Amino acid sequence: MEYSNLQRQAASLKKSLFDQGYLDEQFCQIEYLQDEASPNFTEEVVSLFFENSTRLMTNIEQAMEKNPRDFSRWDVNMQQLKGSCSSIGASRMKNECTSFRNICGDENAEGCMRSFQNLKREHGVLRQKLESYFQVLRQAGPAVTAARPRGM
Amino acid sequence: MASRNQGSAPRALVVEDIKIDCVILMHMLHKLNCEATAVENGKEAVDLFIEGKTFDIIFLHKDMPIMSGPEAVVKIRAMGATAVKIVGVSADFGGREAFMQAGADVFVPKPVKPETL
Repeated sequence: MEYSNLQRQAASLKKSLFDQGYLDEQFCQIEYLQDEASPNFTEEVVSLFFENSTRLMTNIEQAMEKNPRDFSRWDVNMQQLKGSCSSIGASRMKNECTSFRNICGDENAEGCMRSFQNLKREHGVLRQKLESYFQVLRQAGPAVTAARPRGM
Repeated sequence: MASRNQGSAPRALVVEDIKIDCVILMHMLHKLNCEATAVENGKEAVDLFIEGKTFDIIFLHKDMPIMSGPEAVVKIRAMGATAVKIVGVSADFGGREAFMQAGADVFVPKPVKPETL
């Protein structure tokens, strides 16, 4: 009984991630790659994403502090982060990256600062939500496999 | 995915500096029973060809340090490697033109999906 409840909880968490726009179809593509030979593939990829994104965001923050108005440098770093977000389906983060790049193109430094703060917030929320999701998945065990949430 | 080695696994080379993208693409290729090798930039890819390594298919990211994907394509083709299938990969749609002009066979936008392979 407990096992089924955990499965339902995992499915519900995942559905909410999609419903709230945190994740898109690309995340399902990652989950579909998971199999018996690599049962933790999705979590490993997500972990890699957060390692990479944290580093990139630190680089961007430092670039914004040390190279004020160097919009080209900010944009190059943000392009990389956007690419990583696309790779795992981190939809809201990806959209904020796009927003930042557009504001960068307008050479609006204050706008970039605000956008970057939004991005940091999205990053933190996504990390927290995915950590909760994977924690429940681990408790639920290997029978909880990748599936597109219903209604998608 | 067509293989030039009759009866053996297709040999793929992944040229990608972004680790997460490399891990995902390598995993996709392993699931397709490809023998996949990964390097981090265009120069390392070219060096493999100089060493005499051969591949059935290469996936190259566009913007990489030291040597970009399109630059590597030009050099690989100039070495006489005309039979290898070259796939340019980028989130930048402008990458299509750069890769095709360099001599790639196909351009695939990022993120790469399993059904695309």
